[in-house]
Amino acid sequence: MKKVKNRGAFVLLIALFCVLGLSLYCARYVMHGREWASFAGGGTTMGLLYDRNEVLLADAGAGTYSEDYTTRVANFHVTGDYIGNVGTGALTRLNDHLTGFNLLTGTYHTETPKAHLTVDAALNNEAYAALAGRNGSVQIVNYKTGELLCMVSSPSIDPANPGNIPDGAYLNRAISATYVPGSVFKLVTLAAALETINDIYDRTFYCGGSVMVGGDKLNCTGVHGNQTIEQALANSCNCAFSELAQTLGTDVIQAYAKKLGITDSHALDGMYTAAGSIDAHEVGNINLSWSAIGQSTDLVCPNSMLRLVSAIGNGGTLVEPTLVGHGRRLKTTKLLDAETAEKMASMMNYNVQYAYGAGSFPGLSICAKTGTAEVGDGTDHAWFVGFLDDEEHPYAFVVQVERGGGGLSVAGAIANRVLQQAVAN
Amino acid sequence: MVGSAVITITRYLLPILAAWVVVRCVRSMLSEKYEPEVWGHLIFPDASAAPLPHWECVIGRAKTSDIVVNAPDVSRIHAVLIRNDKGIWRIFDMNSRGGVYVGKEKVPKKGLEVKNGDKIRLASVSLGFADVTASELRTVDKTRTAAGTSFNPAATLLILSLFQSIIMLQYCFSAKDEYLVVTCLAFFALLAIEWMCYLLIRSIRRNGFEVETIAFFLTTLGLSIVASSTPEALVKTLILLIMGVALFFAMGWWLRDLRRAKALRWPAVLAAMGFLFINLILSEYVFGAKNWLYIGGFSLQPSELVKVLYIYAGAASLDRLFARRNLFMFIAFSAICVMALALMGDYGTAVIFFVTFLIISFMRSGSIATVFLAISGAAMAGFLVFTMKPYIAQRFATWGHVWADPYGAGYQQTRALSAAASGGLFGHGAGEGWLKNIVAANTDMVFAVICEELGLIVAVVAALSIVALAFFAFRSAAHGRSTYYVIAAGASVSLLMIQMALNIFGSLDILPFTGVTFPFVSKGGTSLLSCWMLLAFIKAADTRKNASFVVKRAEIKTRKKRGAKA
Repeated sequence: MKKVKNRGAFVLLIALFCVLGLSLYCARYVMHGREWASFAGGGTTMGLLYDRNEVLLADAGAGTYSEDYTTRVANFHVTGDYIGNVGTGALTRLNDHLTGFNLLTGTYHTETPKAHLTVDAALNNEAYAALAGRNGSVQIVNYKTGELLCMVSSPSIDPANPGNIPDGAYLNRAISATYVPGSVFKLVTLAAALETINDIYDRTFYCGGSVMVGGDKLNCTGVHGNQTIEQALANSCNCAFSELAQTLGTDVIQAYAKKLGITDSHALDGMYTAAGSIDAHEVGNINLSWSAIGQSTDLVCPNSMLRLVSAIGNGGTLVEPTLVGHGRRLKTTKLLDAETAEKMASMMNYNVQYAYGAGSFPGLSICAKTGTAEVGDGTDHAWFVGFLDDEEHPYAFVVQVERGGGGLSVAGAIANRVLQQAVAN
Repeated sequence: MVGSAVITITRYLLPILAAWVVVRCVRSMLSEKYEPEVWGHLIFPDASAAPLPHWECVIGRAKTSDIVVNAPDVSRIHAVLIRNDKGIWRIFDMNSRGGVYVGKEKVPKKGLEVKNGDKIRLASVSLGFADVTASELRTVDKTRTAAGTSFNPAATLLILSLFQSIIMLQYCFSAKDEYLVVTCLAFFALLAIEWMCYLLIRSIRRNGFEVETIAFFLTTLGLSIVASSTPEALVKTLILLIMGVALFFAMGWWLRDLRRAKALRWPAVLAAMGFLFINLILSEYVFGAKNWLYIGGFSLQPSELVKVLYIYAGAASLDRLFARRNLFMFIAFSAICVMALALMGDYGTAVIFFVTFLIISFMRSGSIATVFLAISGAAMAGFLVFTMKPYIAQRFATWGHVWADPYGAGYQQTRALSAAASGGLFGHGAGEGWLKNIVAANTDMVFAVICEELGLIVAVVAALSIVALAFFAFRSAAHGRSTYYVIAAGASVSLLMIQMALNIFGSLDILPFTGVTFPFVSKGGTSLLSCWMLLAFIKAADTRKNASFVVKRAEIKTRKKRGAKA
């Protein structure tokens, strides 16, 4: 009897197995419950997706979108669709917000759950119209709160009636693609120069229209003569930045590209942005100069550029961009010293005053940098990046138009149009 | 509007009541004291007396014996001394080398009665036998704590009734109009059945109702699942519940008399084989397993009844436990069951049988027996793996990767996980889920359905209530009247737990999906019947004073005449 009784303890082993299994499930529930509950193929009812001004973008319960065609198309890349074609769309990535899930009550709710994006649908409509069918992206972020007010990618489709789908229409160009940056990359080289070359403000940079580097000829966009560093940036002088590049060396430039977030992928509400890349070249090699100018094999994601100008606008500290809001605690990353940011901001303002013409941006206290990036086939990507030095409207922006032409004339014009509406709101 | 308000409020009450019911049952089962018992003494030559702590005692040289006799010519397991419910002791020779004698008479194979004052000789060792005296019996009886003293079973049942009423109330708002009345009636019927059971138990002066309360708690969840998924089957489910409860009482009554129970072990073996044989020949494939019989419109799963018969025949009292012939028959019987189930394609049940075989083997194995059981266990496992290979490959391929193929192989598990998570801790309310509409949700994915509708807390409490039965069975084992009851109870709780584990963890992707039922909760007639019958085995091991209707009340008066201690 004693033996049989003692061996009965074996049943406790099975009991232990059951308890362990249940504990494992509970642990998994805590970790993955949110993903599970928001599985679109299940039966969990989803709620309504709005922009920041209560404009309905999608009714996930009904499986419908906005009633307005332009709103559907212009906001397609932030909204996504129910099939999950846009990997970065809110209906795919943020459906846990739409199910209203929390660990205690699951998806139980007495009212239909609502989720709000930080974007302004009307602003997106304006940006999409401004792109006018050209491929590219427009982003505007409030650099004090990190809220993305505008994020548009073109080409787009109408998710309600997809019809013919242009190549790359599912790609959100603002966060999931990288491009040759051209002169906007000079901001990175400039940041490195400001912080590592002590007499940078005392130096003069001579431009004779071209310069010989390691036996190769590097052309400039003009003949700029003797320039200060401010003038060199405003002229976007290749000769001056070639000189900086050869002084700084590839290690410093690469380190700054990394520090400023250009070569990393960044979390945006749980999604990951595309990482850029800057190749290394020896001092004396012309490709080192080209890469510091944003040419050569450089590739940059527009959203990484947005983080950089956003940080400059906010005194060096970046409030991480978000499409759903940060809640009470802002998530920040320090990209630059306040002093460096201050200097860069004033130089970017000088750009506008001295080179771009403030008249092109009526009423805007704008600090910016243009980029006209040679793609290699004779066409150029047009870039216009910067921010408003305006307490009321602390907006940073990145406009990028694929093979669009001149940075100022094309991207600058789009930026002005969209910013005018953003400020008017 | 009223409905959503009612559900919003009451859904927080359900987990509290469920936990309260189960905690009361568990504390009652596990906290009530078992005083050590003495049923007689063996007097050694040096006049020291060894108490007989059980009704079935092993006497031998082995340290694990109940009475250790340290003499070189005494075998490790030499003899077995067994008392029956009439207070009559018999001694059996366990193939000892030196033989067993009572007085001058050599003990034959079928054993010999031992009376107070008899001299027992094991090889060269002489022992005096002193039966328990009437006054000792009275003392034992007095010190034993009666069941149900610290936790009033009626109060526990009242809390359960409240739990059931709230679920019924939630259905009043969520049920479709045409099923509203039948749903309410079903819950009223459940209330009536459980209270009638309680009164029946009280009428025969028993006070242990924890095991039954847990079963009724689980049955409530099962009824809720039927009401939610297939309300048209409510009446049938109730009829089966009544049959199950009736079988529970019948089985319990039958198990009261050990001799009577043991006498039918062979017919049970034959019946089990008959069921399996008919099953193999006549049944139809449903969901990939050929384990359903259709008789006059009723579907029957013979393998469920075989579970009960298997435990009934597999358990043994101490005198038979070590007999080689008995052991071989048990191994052969187990092998036939497992193989038949594997041939039917009912691998889930085959695995359950196999693990139950391991448990029964482990509990009953003696020295030589261990070797045989180990070998046959390995052979059976080999056979199972061999026949299940394609099945295993398929299920294991999906296991842990259900999210890789949510529209194919992982269809059921991903739906179960999604629904279970969306229920949170408190659920969406009875009948308010969506998982119930998925095929086999009311059998294979019931844990997830409960999580979704009644919340994770209720679901976990349900699972833990079965685990609690295991602790109870283990605790009762120390005072079991016979190894037959102890082994049967241990095997029953193990079977229930394994089945539950395969069901829950299979649907939640913690184990491969097997598609077995959650005891008492999954919809399925035969399964409900077998669960209630298995419960009778657990009741048979409950020897707390006046607790179980399966155990006869101690009758002291008739024993007065028995003589004084020698």
